[in-house]
Amino acid sequence: MTDTLSGKIPVTVLTGYLGAGKTTLLNRILTEDHGRRYAVIVNEFGEIGIDNDLVVGADEDVFEMNNGCVCCTVRGDLIRVVAGLMKRQKPGAPAFDAIIVETTGLADPGPVAQTFFVDEDVKAKTQLDSVTALVDAKHVMARLDDSREAREQVAFADRIILNKTDLATEAELVAVEARLRKLNPLAPITRAERANVPLDQVLGLGGFDLERILDINPEFANPAHGEAGHVHDEHCGHDHHDHDHDHHHHHKVDTVDSVDSFSGVRGHSHGDDIKGISLSLDRPMHGAKFTAWLDRLLGEQGQNILRAKGIIDIDGENRRLVFQAVHMILEGDLQREWGPGERRWSRAVFIGRDLDEAALKAGFEACAA
Amino acid sequence: MSTTFDAQVTAIVFDSAGAVFALGDGSVRFESGERADIHGGAILCAVLHPSGDGIVTGGDDGQVIWSRRGESGLLAGADNGQWIDAIDASTGSGLIAFSAGKTVSVIDAADSVFRRDFVHERTVSGVAFDPKGRRIAASTYGGAALWFARIAQQKPTKLTWAGSHTGVAFSPDGAFVVTIMQDNQLHGWRLKDGKNLRMGGYPSKVRSIAFLSNGNLMATSGAQGAVLWPFIGANGPMGREATEIGYDEGSLVTLVAARSTHGVLAAGLNDGRVWLADPAGQGLNFLKAEKGAAITALALSPDARRVAWADEDGQTGVVDISAP
Repeated sequence: MTDTLSGKIPVTVLTGYLGAGKTTLLNRILTEDHGRRYAVIVNEFGEIGIDNDLVVGADEDVFEMNNGCVCCTVRGDLIRVVAGLMKRQKPGAPAFDAIIVETTGLADPGPVAQTFFVDEDVKAKTQLDSVTALVDAKHVMARLDDSREAREQVAFADRIILNKTDLATEAELVAVEARLRKLNPLAPITRAERANVPLDQVLGLGGFDLERILDINPEFANPAHGEAGHVHDEHCGHDHHDHDHDHHHHHKVDTVDSVDSFSGVRGHSHGDDIKGISLSLDRPMHGAKFTAWLDRLLGEQGQNILRAKGIIDIDGENRRLVFQAVHMILEGDLQREWGPGERRWSRAVFIGRDLDEAALKAGFEACAA
Repeated sequence: MSTTFDAQVTAIVFDSAGAVFALGDGSVRFESGERADIHGGAILCAVLHPSGDGIVTGGDDGQVIWSRRGESGLLAGADNGQWIDAIDASTGSGLIAFSAGKTVSVIDAADSVFRRDFVHERTVSGVAFDPKGRRIAASTYGGAALWFARIAQQKPTKLTWAGSHTGVAFSPDGAFVVTIMQDNQLHGWRLKDGKNLRMGGYPSKVRSIAFLSNGNLMATSGAQGAVLWPFIGANGPMGREATEIGYDEGSLVTLVAARSTHGVLAAGLNDGRVWLADPAGQGLNFLKAEKGAAITALALSPDARRVAWADEDGQTGVVDISAP
């Protein structure tokens, strides 16, 4: 679970409203026999009863850096608390191996995540592993209806724990899952009672690690288990999104295959303002066109895009281009080569608010080589 | 002298007898070998006691403790054990100020009953006394607040500037307040008219600032060399350019240390080197030339004759500077 190559402390964020089971899950993580020591950052007004030596209160101090650039909205309290915690780390004998950040049901997950990409000190010492959202099977539908934060937490997550499934019928669970998947087609949903989810489905997910973007299936995103990742650069700001590739080849277009991923059951009678949009294309992309489109999209609509991930087949390039984004913060890199028998196709998922699916699809497909 | 500790050094202070190290394991170590295990967690901040004897430390256990060789005592605590994030003290007034969360508390080294608590709207990141120790500046998001240290009921003078301010200092003549900002710049205010000073162009976060040469120069870290801003006359650095000394493309200055009554500047680098320079003279005197872990603590003695440092791996050094 530790990012051994970088030596950075992995950070797991747990989101979910009061009563979803965060404290139960947290105490399971802390008390299970794994030999790891955690530092836990909780909201200062949050639930009590956490069974750990190192629990620190944070006060949800959100602010915008860099003259109000929204992609640089960070949590000042996390910068302060992480810096303070790191002072306990002894050379060669760490006081803790990982950090868990528990947020309230009202917290916006964006600034929490962005803190780990934007602040130079936090970035140097820690690596955001993943965001897990806990939802309560019985009450989540009502919460999603009336709380923007609840929708955002689900949409932002790398993993969704559908907890307290013993309190809902199978039909209710199916409807809940359909709605959750529509909000977030990337995050696997794990059913649980009393937060009894295997811990390897919460810890060490590598949700922001480009090396671990193994597959994105527009129909359903499978949990990605893979090798531990390595350090990569982050780029923040409208002007310096960057990819380390550049292609100027042109090829003939054969076929177009776009997949409508959401033909399944609608979980609710009305649509949510947030949804995941899946795009795919069965022919190579023009590298420069695609990166220019992605940069412009995130620059213009990054405020509304919570998460994005993609695997792109670039014309003339044998390696897969992978990217992930949190609002306007984009990371992209050429990853492993396409396998000999592997289907070469491009697919991407954008999760966001008020996204124009037709325009996204048209823009994506216009990048074809 | 060179010692390696098994915990991080979070601050170094020179008192009347020598260097004192504050550590991430909650202990204080004196250069002479004494040790005091005083805090339940990490020491987050430290300052020289107003008497000149011993160190006052603030910990993540919410306690403010005065340690001398062979003796330690609790001076104050924060409500519900909140972290003590910042601390300062004044030999002039004998007062000590520390922050925990949104509150700055002022206590008197000579009067154990005296205490003032000043509450801010946002979390306090730094505290600094003016040269006489009568006013206290607190940096927060959105600027800094100025309080009269001894007055119980008052409205602070607010110095506002959008952004996150992470540290604060007074110029030695008391005419300017300077804050360190999250986004690689400094901000300043001339107190007599509230005029703003913007000092930017840094490639990384500025972690420390120090005044030297009778307050005519303010040195900062955060660049490939030590950055020097002129603070001469009523206008300070307004309309003037900064200079940089010890520029080295391959490294960053992480910390600076100086004394306003002396002309030398010490700098600690992210590649583990430490140098001393006289900005009026030529060249750098490398006190530690071998590279290693980043320098995380640095101090210059009051007579500017000794320098102490520590790196990220707990290695420390104290050297006497030969007479110029």
